[in-house]
Amino acid sequence: MEILEVKNVTKRFGNYAAANNVSFTVESGQIFGLLGPNGAGKTTLIRMINNILIPDEGEIYIFDEKLNSNLQNKIGYLPEERGLYKKLKVMEQIVYFARLKGIPKSTAIECARFWLNKLGASGWENKKIQELSKGMQQKIQFITTILHSPELIILDEPFSGFDPINTELVKNILLELRDEGKTIILSTHVMSQVEELCDSICMINKGKLVLDGKVSEIKSRYGRNHLVVEFDGSDEFIKLLENVEILNRSNSRLELKLLNQSINTNDIFKTVSEFATVTRFDLSLPTMHEIFIDTVANQQGDKNEQ
Amino acid sequence: MNNKIITIISHEYFTRIKSKGFIIGTLLGPLFLILLIVIPGLVAYLSADSTSKKIAIVDKTNFGIGQKLVNLDTSKYYLSDKSEDELRRQVLAGESDGFVVVDENVISSGEALVFTSGGGIGFITSLEGNLGDIIKQKQLKDAGATDDILKLIDKPFKIKTLKVTERGEQKDYTEVYAAIGYFLGFVIYFLMFAYGSLVSRGVIEEKANRIIEVVASSAKPFEIMMGKVIGIGLVGLTQVTVWIILGFAAITIAGTIFSGSISPEQIAQLQNQTAMPQSSGTMLNIAGLEIPAISPWLIIGFIYYFLIGYFIYATLFAAIGSAVDQEQDAAQLQTPVTLPIIIPILLVFNVISNPDSILAIILSLIPFFTPILMTVRIAATQVPLWQILASIVLTVGTFFLCLKIAARIYRVGILMYGKKPTFKDLFKWMRIAK
Repeated sequence: MEILEVKNVTKRFGNYAAANNVSFTVESGQIFGLLGPNGAGKTTLIRMINNILIPDEGEIYIFDEKLNSNLQNKIGYLPEERGLYKKLKVMEQIVYFARLKGIPKSTAIECARFWLNKLGASGWENKKIQELSKGMQQKIQFITTILHSPELIILDEPFSGFDPINTELVKNILLELRDEGKTIILSTHVMSQVEELCDSICMINKGKLVLDGKVSEIKSRYGRNHLVVEFDGSDEFIKLLENVEILNRSNSRLELKLLNQSINTNDIFKTVSEFATVTRFDLSLPTMHEIFIDTVANQQGDKNEQ
Repeated sequence: MNNKIITIISHEYFTRIKSKGFIIGTLLGPLFLILLIVIPGLVAYLSADSTSKKIAIVDKTNFGIGQKLVNLDTSKYYLSDKSEDELRRQVLAGESDGFVVVDENVISSGEALVFTSGGGIGFITSLEGNLGDIIKQKQLKDAGATDDILKLIDKPFKIKTLKVTERGEQKDYTEVYAAIGYFLGFVIYFLMFAYGSLVSRGVIEEKANRIIEVVASSAKPFEIMMGKVIGIGLVGLTQVTVWIILGFAAITIAGTIFSGSISPEQIAQLQNQTAMPQSSGTMLNIAGLEIPAISPWLIIGFIYYFLIGYFIYATLFAAIGSAVDQEQDAAQLQTPVTLPIIIPILLVFNVISNPDSILAIILSLIPFFTPILMTVRIAATQVPLWQILASIVLTVGTFFLCLKIAARIYRVGILMYGKKPTFKDLFKWMRIAK
């Protein structure tokens, strides 16, 4: 079932189109990556889905209902720039945002206790926000985003400011929420998180949709062109390789991108083994990191050709 | 009103009501205001006649003029029979602050020469008055005036006014009412400013701390703005209500203490002295200072004009606040909003002097001036009903107009960061937000 449908949405600021005829859909119960370089128009798109900005053209549907302010209660939004009232106490802050999402005070307090406990923040109820460290504030912001149990959770760079332990903690909560049937839209620049978490993605560049689909499909569309070779011995063989792009190299490890589908990997194996002992030879799908760079670079190329 | 706007109102209201600033401001505000009024008067009083200067009087006449002067104020004047040269030396040495020689010539010419060590106009004025009175009496007596005539001259002419109303003649408190009007006008001025900037600061805080994006993902910009404006307005209303209650309590307590400390005969005596028809309402008479009855309509009018004034300006303050990233940037954009608050304060004196003039009527019906000037007029005079109704229609209409404009600017402004906006930008935003 589709939880979100963005249909031919355009938003202009002056002459500049921050979103230009963008269309995509998000299936419910999955984690959906919204990717794109800085200034691509992601925030504008997210704001429109949150009903903060109104599109100039096109429509947005949530559960087949045209977006309106009543639907805001079904969305939880964690903006990239965090914002809490510095002088409020933690519990007051959480309860206020929950009440704005239509949750009664008593329920909000109960849920707040549950989540504070789950995020290792119990006992913070009466601390003022300004007394908390950045990471602690981040946790409170995260709680305010999900407390009203929204069907659609939109997170913009949710892990920035978290140490690895808290990152794992939040990641696991996101996976739990997904398993409960919630839908999460994740906007991030960290591609390893996309690999780890996202089922589907769409990519925006210069206000336009440039890539869209399931992560696995997108990867196989690119084909098995990513080769990792680990070896013991001389690396003299590298200059003999043809039709490859070197992505990464070190004394005993080489990452290659095969530029041509017809390359026989057996030939490469032979070439390497003439100089060194092969300890690992791994042909795999491209990483999201490569796909991201590739897609943005292609766009740049298109523009240059024009 | 839906739940969201009520949630925002109660958040704005209760977080502020609970703050130390509010409690202190509400309790100490009146004290501060009283000090503000009392201190300049006190300073003027103390500085005018508190001269510690000592003046030597050399009396060369034999009418006892010098003695009469000394009798008036022994702390200032003393008799001396030293020579002028000796007195000069004393002034130079700082033993005396000056001297004056009174002789026949002074009486005939009506002029005296005073030698001083310099400094301070206060004592010269009082010496001129004191000596002048004595010399004038002597001159009149020499011209053949009898004691009866002298008494007549001494007695100042006084005006006592009676106000003709439907219920008969009443004691006229025009001056007291004018003072009350001035006071209330000033209070409204102060409150509109204080609470208006509270709104603007609140909006800027939410924008600068990026809270607004989270709030805007939960409620409509109009609800956020209105919730804040109403919530802070209720804080103001609470404060004013507390002040009014405190004021009445203070008057009642003062009245009780006063009537407890004097006997009923004294009250009767006082009433006989005034020998005037009593005003219909309650009236307090504390140590000669009469506080006439304050009509409940004045209080209702005051509260209405304070609230409508607040609402007109608060929406505009919210719009300005939404347009800037930080408080420092707001000052410049706020000028067109603060100016119409300041202008009526400059006009208050004119309006009080002639509260029924065409000019006063027109000025008090200009919606941006109405809150201050109409309150002043209601206190100072009997404002015709049609003018009150006209002012209500005009101010409410202006409020809705301001609200519409402000809501449009606010909706666009809260998400605009970076460039400091100009008025041109604000007009552009108004057009963008349909």
